[in-house]
Amino acid sequence: MSEKPQVKSSPSFFNNPRNRSLIYQFLLLAGLVYFFYGIITNTLANMESRGIKSGYDFLFTTAGFDILMSLIPYDATYSYGRTFVVGLLNTILVSTIGIVLATIVGFLMGVAHFSKNWLIRKLAVVYIETFRNIPLLLQIFFWYFAVLATLPSARQSLSIGEAIFLNVRGLYLPGLIAESGAGFVYTAIGLAFMAIIFLTRWARKRQNDTGQQFPVFLTSLGILFGLPLIALLLSGLPFTWDFPELKGFNFRGGITVIPELMALALALTVYTGAFIAEAVRAGVQAVPHGQTEAARSLGLKESRIMKLIIVPQAMRVIVPLLNSEYQSLVKNSTLATAIGYPDLFTVFVGTTLNQTGQAIEIVFMTMAVYFVINMTISFVMNRFNASVELAERN
Amino acid sequence: MKEFTPLPDKPAPNDVVGIIPWLRENLFPTPLNSLVTLAIIAFFATLIPPLFDWLFFSANWSGTTQDACTNKDGACWVFVIAWSKQFFYGSYPVEEIWRINTCLLALIAIIIASFKLHKDLRNKIAIPLFLLLPFLSIILLDGSLIGLEYVATDYWGGFTLNVMLAAASIIVAFPLSFLWALGRRSDMPFIRSVSVILIEFFRGVPVLALFFMGSVMLPLFFPEGTNVDKLLRVWIVLTLFMSGYMAEVFRGGFQAVPNGQYEAADSLGLGFWQKTLLIILPQVIKISMPNILATFVMLFKNTTFLLIIGIFEMLSTTQTALTNSNWLGGHSTEGYLFVAVVFWICCFSMSMISSSIERKLDTSHRN
Repeated sequence: MSEKPQVKSSPSFFNNPRNRSLIYQFLLLAGLVYFFYGIITNTLANMESRGIKSGYDFLFTTAGFDILMSLIPYDATYSYGRTFVVGLLNTILVSTIGIVLATIVGFLMGVAHFSKNWLIRKLAVVYIETFRNIPLLLQIFFWYFAVLATLPSARQSLSIGEAIFLNVRGLYLPGLIAESGAGFVYTAIGLAFMAIIFLTRWARKRQNDTGQQFPVFLTSLGILFGLPLIALLLSGLPFTWDFPELKGFNFRGGITVIPELMALALALTVYTGAFIAEAVRAGVQAVPHGQTEAARSLGLKESRIMKLIIVPQAMRVIVPLLNSEYQSLVKNSTLATAIGYPDLFTVFVGTTLNQTGQAIEIVFMTMAVYFVINMTISFVMNRFNASVELAERN
Repeated sequence: MKEFTPLPDKPAPNDVVGIIPWLRENLFPTPLNSLVTLAIIAFFATLIPPLFDWLFFSANWSGTTQDACTNKDGACWVFVIAWSKQFFYGSYPVEEIWRINTCLLALIAIIIASFKLHKDLRNKIAIPLFLLLPFLSIILLDGSLIGLEYVATDYWGGFTLNVMLAAASIIVAFPLSFLWALGRRSDMPFIRSVSVILIEFFRGVPVLALFFMGSVMLPLFFPEGTNVDKLLRVWIVLTLFMSGYMAEVFRGGFQAVPNGQYEAADSLGLGFWQKTLLIILPQVIKISMPNILATFVMLFKNTTFLLIIGIFEMLSTTQTALTNSNWLGGHSTEGYLFVAVVFWICCFSMSMISSSIERKLDTSHRN
């Protein structure tokens, strides 16, 4: 028997995966350090030559410009820090309106896709395919310049019951003014919500234990409206309506929705609604048909099948998609700057950046805000997702 | 032996075939549904005739100036016709427009070639050409390097700019995003975290913020005195943005490739790049094709956002046309409608292609 040939037991230095991975990572690190070193030195040199002072001191200096719409008291004497908050609140406002309305429109249209009625089915398809495939910015412009700008002037406003007015300057809604004793009603509303949560838990536990059902929905509805109503009557109606009134050339009083907000909210709703409808459709289609058949053979009514069998399973597909749609809605709300709705982007990256020139700080702060908003949405939706996820047996 | 011959099928009963049962089943199944049907029909009956009248019958088609729009009850398509050159080509010199057309034709030719050519030729010719195309196009469109008339990027614009920017971005984003996706799957912790940060950054930030970063922050990053072209900065931003999204698409594709494929490649003794490029990548691309197209549609629609930083893409050209002092007659509906139709045709056909690929790949027998 010949001797075994001598084989080097360990591979050469470079063929050792560990050494290799260390070398690659070191190279990447070195490249990144070089890259950032270059950027930072260049930036510092550029800022010096342009006379830009870095730092966040500008947040405390007077802004000196007006903002079209603000949820908190604001005028030109406030600081840049205040403009940041005003913009942030406006962003949150339009995103919230958009998310709520887009969800409603999306679910309606998604469900309409499965209607028995051929016309409704086709309408849903046409809606989805039309608005999904047209750029959002174009839709915003369409609503703003082609629809809302052609509304009548203040004197010829369209109105519903002399309480709601719509004209080229915006939408005017009656507002509620709280008087003393309103706190009593707010407490009642809070109590109603707590009672409903408690009731739902109790009813579920009872059904699990005894199999008896409790009409949770109707009772909840009763509590939700009944309790505040009783409080309202007991405290002697501590609210008054504030109707918008035409004074001179414009309306005073009530709540004013500026056309920029209307156009942006409409476009975001219609655009994102189409994507949500598509997500709902995909979710419902992902439930195997056997599930419906099995439910029918158990003798469940069609409405119960939808609620108990289809929707819970479809939600598993829908919720992750909703998560990303909501996030892109928030990101898309930055298009406000194209029509001048004073959101964070318009106010801060637009006007404030122009006035102060603090590009790096401002862009950084803005990006951080959108990150945080999207992280929050993601966190909430993931919690929601965990509650609809398939509970598999271990 | 007697051969078995089945009896011919009986026709379906009369009350389930034909137009009347179809109508009863689909339009008037219940009283409530019938009401809804009638309401929808009534709505369209009142809406469509005036709409068609405005769009076509009373519309003004011929002429070159606003004064040609004599019929105020109809759309003024003269506006769109008069500006159509700008809508498509921006202010690129008229006698040089053949260059833009050449670039677009080359793009179409390469796309067709990569589907039709034989596999070997495709890998050797179509793919390198595809990757080179953006750079060749820039040389041709710019013109100064090859002795043609120099056309500054300020003159590039219109719908063709939307198409070319989107195409150029996705072409460069292909290899880049593939690397990022590989990095995210890597075992090397530092490479993985850098990839994750890159991907999440470009996905998590509004694209508009990225554009602003490109226009106000990038100039600060370069050495003093360097003047980076605006369009080039936009291209860089769009590419990075697209790469973030595509990397996630590719990650999904990687996860969908069965583990056995990796193991089989390992047991054949293929190295990492051989395994990745020859075995895994073709499967990943095939699986991710519908999602890549969907991402591309998003990118394509997002090129309209460039209006905000002053690039003369199609929507921006429309805005300019609408505020032109010779055309101040309120043609915004016509203008937006035209842009919408152009974008809609492109995006809708791409989503049709995407879903047909999806159907072809879907081999489940669910329904």
